[in-house]
Amino acid sequence: MEYALHIVVLAGIFSALSISLDLLVGHSGLLSLAQAAFFGIGAYASAIITTQAGQPPIAAMLVGMAVSASISLLVSLPSLRLRDDYFVLATFAFQMIAFSIFNNWTGLTKGSLGISGIPSLALPGNRGPASLGITMASVLMALFVWSLSRRISRDAFGRVLHGIREDEVFVKSLGKNTMYFKVVIFAFSSALAALAGSLYAHYITYVDPTSFTVMDSLLIISMVIIGGAGSTYGPIAGATCLVVIPEVLRFVGLPGAIAANVRQILYGLLLVLTVVMRPAGMVGTRPLQ
Amino acid sequence: MLRQLFMNGIITGSIYALVAASFALIYQTTRFFHFAHGGIYTAGAYFAYMLSVPFGLPKAAAVAIAVIAGAGMGVFCDYAVYRPLRKRRASAMALLLASLGVLVVLQNTISMFFGDDLKTMRSRHVAEGISILGANITMVQLGILGATSVAFFALWLVLYRTSLGLQVRAVANDAELARIAGTSPDKTITWVFAIGSALAAGAAILISFDTDLTPNMGFQALLMGMIAAIVGGIGSLWGTVLGAFFLGLVRQLAVWKLPGQWQDAIVFLVLITFLLFRPNGFLGGGRRPRSF
Repeated sequence: MEYALHIVVLAGIFSALSISLDLLVGHSGLLSLAQAAFFGIGAYASAIITTQAGQPPIAAMLVGMAVSASISLLVSLPSLRLRDDYFVLATFAFQMIAFSIFNNWTGLTKGSLGISGIPSLALPGNRGPASLGITMASVLMALFVWSLSRRISRDAFGRVLHGIREDEVFVKSLGKNTMYFKVVIFAFSSALAALAGSLYAHYITYVDPTSFTVMDSLLIISMVIIGGAGSTYGPIAGATCLVVIPEVLRFVGLPGAIAANVRQILYGLLLVLTVVMRPAGMVGTRPLQ
Repeated sequence: MLRQLFMNGIITGSIYALVAASFALIYQTTRFFHFAHGGIYTAGAYFAYMLSVPFGLPKAAAVAIAVIAGAGMGVFCDYAVYRPLRKRRASAMALLLASLGVLVVLQNTISMFFGDDLKTMRSRHVAEGISILGANITMVQLGILGATSVAFFALWLVLYRTSLGLQVRAVANDAELARIAGTSPDKTITWVFAIGSALAAGAAILISFDTDLTPNMGFQALLMGMIAAIVGGIGSLWGTVLGAFFLGLVRQLAVWKLPGQWQDAIVFLVLITFLLFRPNGFLGGGRRPRSF
């Protein structure tokens, strides 16, 4: 039971992350390689604020989201006014820097030791399995992020984003300040990633830099693309699949050191195959251009 | 001290220059960020390591085979993954995503076979360096400088003194026009991948004679190469070289004033500064990035 709940929690967290990235990749035609960095910023904000400042998790979560959105401006304002490629490069650079800060700013993040003793979210009066509270929180968060993203994509705001994805120059000719829309959606996406990160920190109760590497960013991208970028259920389907696959592989009984690599190779292959053979993704309807 | 840092900057800069130029070469002809370049870089170094250390081949043979293998991987990657996408007229983003997938596969395959610990193919005895302009430089480092200079001269010869180079520049300028003029852009791009990947593999092997190998060495090199190309001006061969030396020096000088772990953060600042004030780089000029 605990094990099944564990998978549900992870699926919820990664679904929320994938949906947040899909707002960029699927809806706005922007690719960020730094989603794991913003995920990490949320996780570290929660870890630091709850363990060192003794504030409640909700406050930590909100601060993490605000910090993440503010830092996103540092990446987006210089790079988004240029070609999209430059934005990809800036996010890539930021992802590498964020990891080096998590790993090296020992005064704040305790470096590679990580921060332990983060309070877990407990359900008051819960008599069932201990992780029931966090499971509900995780599923609710995924639903919340999903409905937000759904709301945005059907909104006037989302229509402008879709326009930017299809033909930015044309949207500009209609008098829209596309830069503004791109900066806002990037900040929003980063805040949502931080939200997922915060929940992750409270679930695992321990954070260290290895969860927020560029490989993790690539994993989140794979989830979005394999599921189907820009579709209603694609990111959830992709995230759930890529969370469940390693659990299935676990029963095959590969040695631990190799298992991690085999898993990553599988993700990479799936990503390439999806882009080349099935650009719409598993459940998507709109093929990636 | 300052002179030594300067010399170190020149040596790392020369490696970045090879990565930057080969990355820019591929970018200019295909117009997308070929991230798998980082994977081919790592693979080149590990090929050379595998052939020379466990298999005990002479170093020269190991290096030659590894460079050719690197070129082959680049060509295969283009043939199996990018060409079908180009045929479908897929966007630069689709190509970039596919290349990220290839990068993940390459890096993890290497990590699976060789493990994540440091590997070394440096020679055991540490030779006393010679002194140039008050800075100490080992023979290996001198060799790296020599080899990168030769590689650059060869690249320049190919690009500006052969008909293949003319075709490469034509495709970089306008692939459709190059097709109309009777050349085959696909064939040219195959050559570009062969040359670019050979240079990346070569750069990785050169640096492996001086430092240790890890499976994620490619990420770092790729990031530095990309930033160097942007800083120097991605459309100009000499610009990428200039950008690479600039980046190498900035990283070394950062060590002088700051703790070593902030080297990467400084590089990020350099990138942001250039994106803000000079997005076309030192030699990019104009409003639109030039082609080769």
